[in-house]
Amino acid sequence: MMTALEVLDRINELLDAEDSSTVNTSMRLPTALRDAAALAVEHLAVAPSTTTLAAAALRSVLETAVMEAALQAHYRVHPEARPSLAEVALALAAQDGSPLAGRPDLIEQAAADVLARHPDADGDDVLLWAEAQQAATT
Amino acid sequence: MRAVVLDNEAVQALASPDHDKHRVVVAPLAGVVTRRRRGAGMVAVVPTAVRVEAGRDRSDPRAAPINRFRVLDVALDTDLANRAARIVTGTGVSIADAHLGAVAQTSTGSDVVVLTSDPRDVVRASEPRNVTVVRI
Repeated sequence: MMTALEVLDRINELLDAEDSSTVNTSMRLPTALRDAAALAVEHLAVAPSTTTLAAAALRSVLETAVMEAALQAHYRVHPEARPSLAEVALALAAQDGSPLAGRPDLIEQAAADVLARHPDADGDDVLLWAEAQQAATT
Repeated sequence: MRAVVLDNEAVQALASPDHDKHRVVVAPLAGVVTRRRRGAGMVAVVPTAVRVEAGRDRSDPRAAPINRFRVLDVALDTDLANRAARIVTGTGVSIADAHLGAVAQTSTGSDVVVLTSDPRDVVRASEPRNVTVVRI
């Protein structure tokens, strides 16, 4: 039986493997979804083929899931490492080069306001609310 | 696509939960996950010369946080080495910062964000590419 961390490590190994071999899977796609993908490939240039489109989408979902699970696992062992919602929002503002990065007070308040009504809010929800509050007062 | 690039101290801080800037570096990575969940293309990367300077061996069990968070290596191949060599000659920054600058200059992403404790050298190494510097 693999532990949760062993599962994460194994998924990461597989995602990083330089493996160009392919497999015919038994995964069943809804016909309409397959047809929509084929049309998008042909007319919207979203990917060179439906296979690469499906593989890229699957990879992206897996990578995000692993990153999120890794963070949650890390927080369980090191609860003090978990950034607050305001800290994540502030980090996003800094990455965006947003003027809000210089207003931690505003972001702290926005995080508190948003969390009071939406416990599952994320950092972008906080930034949007903070920006709206700032616009309303100028 | 946005690339979030870690410098030496960011790597050190991420790898050590006891580091006084650990949470400061975890917050931007949590932000990467936030944006990815919303469908944005974002990756966290570390130039391999930076990882060398930070003394972080991925096969060491203590490197697990960097491995599990998918902070991906950008290797110093021939083209990047040539560019980094020019950066060292032109600016006098460290080899690790030159590799970081070469990564920033050649990034195909629309946006490069560098988590660093040394904004001045990062900006010098990355020019003429505009990077968003986030001081840790």
